[in-house]
Amino acid sequence: MSAKLHDIEVLQAPEPHMHFERPGKTGLVDWLTTVDHKKIGVLYWLAGTFFLLCGGLEALLFRIQLAVPDNDFMGGETFNGMVTMHATTMVFLAIMPMTAGFANFLVPLVIGARDVAFPRLNAWSYWTFLAGALVINASFVFGGAPAAGWTGYAPLTGAQYGGSGIDFWWAGLALLSASSMAASVNFIVTILNMRAPGMTLLRVPVIGWMMLVIQFLLALSFPPVTVGLILLGFDRMFGSNFYNVSMGGDPHLWQHLFWLFGHPEVYVLILPAMGIVSEILPVFSRRPLFGQTAVIFSGIFIGFVGFGVWAHHMFTTGMGPVADAAFAATTAIIAIPTGVKIFNWLGTLWGGKLTFPTPMLFAVAFIPIFTMGGLSGLMHAAAPLDLQQHDSYFVVAHFHYVLVGGALMGLFAGSYFYFPKVTGRMMNDTLGKLHFWLFVAGMNITFFPQHILGNQGMPRRIYTYPADAQWDFYNMLGTVGVVVMTIATLIYVYNVIVSYKKGEIAGRDPWDAATLEWLTDSPPKMQNFDFTPIVLSERPVWDHKYTEGMEIIAPEKAEAFHMPSYSWKPMISSCFVTLLVVGLLLNTFNPGNWLWAISAVAAVGVVGSVYAWVSEPV
Amino acid sequence: MFRNFTNKLSGWLKTAASPRNLALLAPMALALLLSACGGDGHPRDTLNPAGDGAEVSAWFYWLYLILDSVIFAIVVSALVVAIVKFSKKDGDDTLPPQSHGNMKLEVIWTVIPTIIVVILGVITIGGVFKLSEKPAEEQKVIEIDVTGKQWWWEFDYRNEKISTANEMHVEEGTQVALHLTSADVIHAFWVPRISGKRDATPGRSYPLYFKATQAGEFIGQCAELCGASHARMGIKMMVHPVKGPDSYDNWVKSQKTVAAAPQTALQKAGKKVFETKGCASCHTIRGVKELTQRSRTTGPDLTHVGSRTTIAALALTNNVENLAKWVKNPQAVKEAALMTNLNLSDADSKAVAEYLFSLK
Repeated sequence: MSAKLHDIEVLQAPEPHMHFERPGKTGLVDWLTTVDHKKIGVLYWLAGTFFLLCGGLEALLFRIQLAVPDNDFMGGETFNGMVTMHATTMVFLAIMPMTAGFANFLVPLVIGARDVAFPRLNAWSYWTFLAGALVINASFVFGGAPAAGWTGYAPLTGAQYGGSGIDFWWAGLALLSASSMAASVNFIVTILNMRAPGMTLLRVPVIGWMMLVIQFLLALSFPPVTVGLILLGFDRMFGSNFYNVSMGGDPHLWQHLFWLFGHPEVYVLILPAMGIVSEILPVFSRRPLFGQTAVIFSGIFIGFVGFGVWAHHMFTTGMGPVADAAFAATTAIIAIPTGVKIFNWLGTLWGGKLTFPTPMLFAVAFIPIFTMGGLSGLMHAAAPLDLQQHDSYFVVAHFHYVLVGGALMGLFAGSYFYFPKVTGRMMNDTLGKLHFWLFVAGMNITFFPQHILGNQGMPRRIYTYPADAQWDFYNMLGTVGVVVMTIATLIYVYNVIVSYKKGEIAGRDPWDAATLEWLTDSPPKMQNFDFTPIVLSERPVWDHKYTEGMEIIAPEKAEAFHMPSYSWKPMISSCFVTLLVVGLLLNTFNPGNWLWAISAVAAVGVVGSVYAWVSEPV
Repeated sequence: MFRNFTNKLSGWLKTAASPRNLALLAPMALALLLSACGGDGHPRDTLNPAGDGAEVSAWFYWLYLILDSVIFAIVVSALVVAIVKFSKKDGDDTLPPQSHGNMKLEVIWTVIPTIIVVILGVITIGGVFKLSEKPAEEQKVIEIDVTGKQWWWEFDYRNEKISTANEMHVEEGTQVALHLTSADVIHAFWVPRISGKRDATPGRSYPLYFKATQAGEFIGQCAELCGASHARMGIKMMVHPVKGPDSYDNWVKSQKTVAAAPQTALQKAGKKVFETKGCASCHTIRGVKELTQRSRTTGPDLTHVGSRTTIAALALTNNVENLAKWVKNPQAVKEAALMTNLNLSDADSKAVAEYLFSLK
């Protein structure tokens, strides 16, 4: 049971295949016009990492303000802007795009496809995301950051209370939402329709499954928040009164629309990390994922129930005992599938032959840290307890355990694990371990004491606190922890750069892994696979290497396939969509003048560019 | 040089910081977790309740903390044992058994948590309904209309017909019913030792019922982001004993009177400033000038402002110097404060502060 039957390297196509090369461009133009899912994945990942640093910098700044009581490093409005941008950036511009990076790069590879179903739409999603990110951050330059919290509760976002930052915020988020919805359709079609022969749904690796689940979450949860954002835009631009109480509007409408999106959104953030961990643990335990089907189904179950729990964010609004009880109950149910996943990960480690390179360290540490966040989340499900913890630092601790210790550490694990596949080189393991230990230490130093601060009655989003509140020690500790996390993250970025240039050459299958992406070159060639692999099990590459009679077979006849050409149209279309939004923003600041014309021209441009897109030969 | 450093580091990470060694630290972390949760006389400790609402919440906290600790201990122990026991030994190149799972285990770790969740759910729902119980009709109820405003709290006592700001007075052991609303954006009323929080939403009125079980002063603040000075929107709850000179009834009696007449020349000058320089367009002093209508920018009733211990929603201690500082330039004390800066002279500020502080 130990010797390898085959090496991945010997696997070759039976006879030369035919494919139509993309008439590629080079340099910058190549990146602007690419429709290759791998390049788009890299773009997403790079943008996500960049905004991760931005969001971290924002956190560092407001942690300096909070380090000591009665501090005057920044004022209330600036502080509110920093926390709003920190959360908006981390959720929408860092974790989601990094996840999208993995989805783009990996999904076609793990299912044995050559690209996504709609490669140009994929490029459009990326450019529209980038435009949304830039629009939101442009608020810093034009009149100040949005300062109503990332949850943007009406009526604080209304024209009467919220500054111009809110305009950039809603408009940018609307662009991101369009981008995510387009991407979700694309990936649902890809995963359901483009799997390699023999890859039944239950043979799709867990990462593929989790990506599929989150695409459904995106497709179904972004529409409500988009409606909410557009209503907000109408209130601000045209004086409508959807959220204006004095004119019969309802601020709770926003909260329902937002959380109907917001809660599925947290599963959008965590499920991919769970998928990544579910890929990494088996590889470094050298055995299959324990209860793979259970892990997949619990992910699907979380996705479904995730739509029925949103109002647990609203226990303090006074919805009444019946609604509180119902949402408390549905929320607690989520603990069950989450527990199933955790126990199956433990089951994977149990009885394995564990080794601990950096990706495995992150994946293993993910288990207790995420469990911690999950258990404090269970506390919030108890509505009577949540009345104390809601909007306190206890909640801050909870969602940072889930999103930093969970989602982000999962993405770090994935970055170390898939870096060799993406670049062809290994990441430096020593720097990786240094990053790991510093980051884990920093995140616990910062966020663990925040549970205690919450119990001691510290509300979130306060820019300062008096000395006699006795919150100073843990706040100072929190700031120290953020400094440690910052150092760790810079080491990581340095590691990425150095390893990209000088890392050890990886080969196709550096980790002795199990799934299809390791079958092909590192980095994979444009068409991903020389021939379409025929899948016989849920671990095709492992079984090919280790199990008699499970060899991956190539089709007998050479294949001919067509790869789509580069195109300017997606980016141009994105630019016009952005211009449309920018025109609306400009008009908000200078109402009633010719600036409407910008949006009108842009609207024509959108139609024109889509027409050109459709009629473009591919 | 650098290579040397990384080699050393790599050696250290391999031995001292190996997952095997560090896994053993996890139980210590767990012990720390448990020890860190106890209250230690902290002024806003949610786990040291002084009200019946906070008691219910704290009870649930301990219930969930014990349960969570047990689950966390199980997960971490299993993880530690797995790491220690199943780390690959040097030179061992055999494959572990390639099992794909175990149906029995899957059923066990689905069914047991389901049972726990169902039990917890029943208990939780009981707690939800207990907290939302309306107070019985026949007992004494202190009913207070609470209005959150950027960035202070207005408390109107329904039956006593008195109005105060930021400092709420209630009676030990007596049922209190707050009716919360807001004049502008959403706020949340939170005095951690007394009760969980409740939003104050514009256009709506939601109740919060509680009984304070201890006499004393309890600090809280707005818990829903409400703009620039959200952090400076404090609440002080004074729980009076039933009997004695400091009783709730005595406090009500003192508050029902109209404002004291100014005594000194400076106080008289201060009253004049109040009446002529614009203060009276937003503030009521009963017996001097009463507003007939309130708006978003209406300020606190100042009839007994001198009896308060703090001003500007706990931003400052109440004394003549601080009152003068506040009326002279409110925005210097509290960012974006809505109180108009009337450009009072130093002398006017001092006079009006003297007058206001005399309104006990």
